[in-house]
Amino acid sequence: MDFQGYNIPDDLMYTKEHEWAKQEGGVVRIGITDYAAKTLNDVVYVTNPKTNDSVQQAKSMGTVESIKAVSEIYSPISGTVTKVNPQLDSHPELVNKSPYGEGWLVEVKPTNIASEKKALLDAKAYAAHLDTLLKK
Amino acid sequence: MLSTTQLHSYHAQHAKLTEFAGYEMPLWYTATTDEHLAVRNASGIFDVSHMGRFMVEGRQATDFLEGLVPTNVRSQPLGKSFYTLLLNDRGGIIDDLIIEKLSDDSYMVVVNAANAQADMRHMVAHSPEGFEIEDLTPSTAMIAIQGPKASDSLQPLAALDLGQLKRFRCEQTDVAGQKALVSRTGYTGEDGFEVIVYGTTNESPEGALKVWEKLAATSTPCGLGARDSLRLEAGLPLHGSDIDQSTNPFEADLAWVISAGKVGFIGSAALADQSAQNPSGIRRGLVLDSGIPRHGFEVRDGSGVVGKVTSGTFSPIIRKGIALCRVTRGKSDFGTRVSVKVREAAQGGSITKPPFYDEQLYGWKRHKDN
Repeated sequence: MDFQGYNIPDDLMYTKEHEWAKQEGGVVRIGITDYAAKTLNDVVYVTNPKTNDSVQQAKSMGTVESIKAVSEIYSPISGTVTKVNPQLDSHPELVNKSPYGEGWLVEVKPTNIASEKKALLDAKAYAAHLDTLLKK
Repeated sequence: MLSTTQLHSYHAQHAKLTEFAGYEMPLWYTATTDEHLAVRNASGIFDVSHMGRFMVEGRQATDFLEGLVPTNVRSQPLGKSFYTLLLNDRGGIIDDLIIEKLSDDSYMVVVNAANAQADMRHMVAHSPEGFEIEDLTPSTAMIAIQGPKASDSLQPLAALDLGQLKRFRCEQTDVAGQKALVSRTGYTGEDGFEVIVYGTTNESPEGALKVWEKLAATSTPCGLGARDSLRLEAGLPLHGSDIDQSTNPFEADLAWVISAGKVGFIGSAALADQSAQNPSGIRRGLVLDSGIPRHGFEVRDGSGVVGKVTSGTFSPIIRKGIALCRVTRGKSDFGTRVSVKVREAAQGGSITKPPFYDEQLYGWKRHKDN
């Protein structure tokens, strides 16, 4: 769906900290939302975890930086990193151009997704969360 | 309640806004990196109307300024725009500023927005009995046009032949039919101009808006994000971050503003002291191999902490993290290897002499005719 100019795909799960997660087979792909990318304005540097690192739900797994600001990335779920987007070292701007596509951050093999899923938002709930933020 | 500049209606319509020095200002219009690159490769415009503009005029004006700043004033030629400092009694930097010499007894003093009130108080406190300093900030606007194509963008609007205006010179002229003071100066490292537009106020900002909108047809509007990344890439200090009241010109690596042999200015006695001239730390550039250094990060070598980052960003030109930092003297030689802890990881880097870009390719010095 489109919410006040921000793209929120219906088939993803979201965190209140503006990460998205997509379960595909045995792995979960993770990125930051269109709102997060637009708020950062222009991503110039991404610090991702490394392959085989373990990440924990709601814990910092890296950073996304614009010229002005540093933003922590909180992992939507716990697991082991199986793949890191290799393009972001040389093309961090992909996070802005395509936050749900080529600008994905990492893929994780989840360890506890069945119960951790309950802490994530669907598109509608994430839109409602943005609505409260934008009204502040 | 935030102040606004005369161009606020344009910013509100086109930019993401932010608070700076009590003003609501544009942070970016499209994206900071794009605006940054527009200035390095073509031309960008900045609303710098929030900066303080003071007119110092009269028979006592030259003597007054001579006692106020470490740079010679009387010997400056007419039409000179020169960079200098306001110092306290201890030699600490109250502000950095540009003084534009309009005649033998009139000067336009342009100061940082965040310090404008403190600067005015300092100046009034040291001015002769009955001497008046006029604050022109509300009755003027100020627009910077910066980049290798700045001249092409401004020339069609200016009555003055810009080819005749050298770097660090200024002249009164008309711009888009408005009375204006044009100075070939800036805060980006690039060739360019800073234009003070007269006869325009927040109540009737038409003159300022006309100049801005005409320039916006050929130059990219730029926000404070690009202003900061550009000045940092050029190695220009920001007062309040890289230099402040506790930093003297030697620590700030700005001792060149002190005219040889000049005495009798505020702070001169303190600066004559050997200890002031040999401070424990000095301002330097820093380039990281990887990662982005930010304000407050510690600079280390094998022996421990040797300095601190005072401002840092990502350079869109060299595509690396860059910073201005204060490092202890023994570690301040160009090329000294250091490390900066960026969150969890220690990143290697080198102490350098700004600007951070290749001056053959970028910056005003690439234009051989200047």
